[in-house]
Amino acid sequence: MVSRQSAKFDELIHPPTRLAIVALLAAAEWADFKLIRDEVRLSDSALSKQLTTLEGAGYVEIRKSFVGKRPRTSARLTRTGRAAFQGHVAALQEIVERSGATVIPR
Amino acid sequence: MNTHPDEASAALSDIQSRQERVIRAAHIPVWYWWAVAVGMVVIGAAADTRRPVVLAVVIPIAGLCIAALTVAMILGVGRGARIRSNELLRGRGAVVIVFFDWLIVGLTLGLAFGLKAAGAPHPATIATGVGGVLLGLSGPAVTRTLNKIMLSNRAGMSQW
Repeated sequence: MVSRQSAKFDELIHPPTRLAIVALLAAAEWADFKLIRDEVRLSDSALSKQLTTLEGAGYVEIRKSFVGKRPRTSARLTRTGRAAFQGHVAALQEIVERSGATVIPR
Repeated sequence: MNTHPDEASAALSDIQSRQERVIRAAHIPVWYWWAVAVGMVVIGAAADTRRPVVLAVVIPIAGLCIAALTVAMILGVGRGARIRSNELLRGRGAVVIVFFDWLIVGLTLGLAFGLKAAGAPHPATIATGVGGVLLGLSGPAVTRTLNKIMLSNRAGMSQW
């Protein structure tokens, strides 16, 4: 999924909670707020705060719609967010490779 | 950036784990394969009636139902996420899907024409029934194969 991207460590993405959100979104075209909340195990307010931070950086686009009469919020990574994530993954890989360690994929 | 290699390694593992979870959460449900199988049998049974009215009404409706279900699967309706299937499946996934589709279609058509040539009653119904059962039984295996391909293409996997 990630071609050899120019490595760029991203301080905004790196905190575990945000990294979890961005990693999840990187595998998806879009994901429901509920799915992200359940997967990352955050409260609604905590997830909203993290998504707002990522949205403010231009990394995430938040979409609000209705399914019937029920409101539905979903999120997706923007092109900028995807590039930042790929650069961050490459940076993490470089750190691991420089140490001579290997990561065994799960 | 003062990230320790152990921390970087743990972060990479977490990324892969998160992506694995979302890929598995968005997988094609087993009922989808059986629903398409039922649609196939309905089309086969309609074809065996040879009545123009039945053919004109049932086949388009069944075809539309199958198409609508397939689009819903692709769009991730009801599953909370739409995975980046184009990017995650790449060429290998497309080969698996096309091969599987043509295998089922080829076997069903071959059997239907064979049964018809042998003078068997209801050849299309029998053939689509057999094809439908094959689809329902082997569909989950295709889902597992596609999941494996997507997991091998998730972030960072190509470098390790």
